[in-house]
Amino acid sequence: MTAGAATHIYPFVPGGAADGTKLISGAVVLSDLTGKPCFGLKGGGSAAWLAAQGVPLPAVNRIGDHRGMRVLRLGNEDILFLAENAGETLAQIKAAWLTAVAPKGYSSWREEGWAWMRLSGPRLVEAMSGLCALDLRPQKFGVDDIAQTRVGHIEAVAFRSPTGFDILFDITASAYFARAVAAVAGHQHRGHP
Amino acid sequence: MKLLTCPMNGPRNIDEFQSFGPVRARPDPNGTADREWSRHLFRAENRKGIVVEWWRHVPSNYFFLAERDLVSNEIIRTFDASQLRERA
Repeated sequence: MTAGAATHIYPFVPGGAADGTKLISGAVVLSDLTGKPCFGLKGGGSAAWLAAQGVPLPAVNRIGDHRGMRVLRLGNEDILFLAENAGETLAQIKAAWLTAVAPKGYSSWREEGWAWMRLSGPRLVEAMSGLCALDLRPQKFGVDDIAQTRVGHIEAVAFRSPTGFDILFDITASAYFARAVAAVAGHQHRGHP
Repeated sequence: MKLLTCPMNGPRNIDEFQSFGPVRARPDPNGTADREWSRHLFRAENRKGIVVEWWRHVPSNYFFLAERDLVSNEIIRTFDASQLRERA
């Protein structure tokens, strides 16, 4: 830990707000990636500053790649980096941004404000159809597509991961989301459509 | 399910949207009497016809415009706010 840096207590870790809430496993698996490196910029100047750093930006609601990071374009001036396996690259971008002069957008506080959860498992497709009203079949929703929509009745950003779907949402809804996924999976397990 | 087509996100359940009312000219703060300000703030038009309204797609926090028929409640089209500025 860097000297002086605060320790993050994410919801599902001991002492977190959702400590004790079970993450479902089996036919549907819910994993918590909230503590993985991520960083977001928002507001005027964000896109131009990132482009000046050599970061290729995808179209809105599409996902790009930059040195192992996933670059999610959520709006013209709303860009999110997910660095599940590229924490060093993300740290470099973040350090450059912190010392840069404006205009450079502002931090959208994604690393602390959003939960990042992954849905996978053999009954994933059925679970997603119960959680989200969008048509997420592969022919309609590709690997580089982003859906900003509702998942489990809360506002969320959904996209494909190698093993299923990743969902980003307000971190304060973490326990609720885990229970909603468990309820949908349990409902389907009991033979309901 | 009633659908509304967001210019940025595509067709979505109307439940994902929030209405922000008709586009209206903003009174000149230096030349508007209290009576006109009061009318602007607290009175709503109640007419038939086509209205251009502000809408927000909540999950993406994207504000856009929609033309709606006030009699049939049909959404005629939706478009990005930049098109309104181009038209002005």
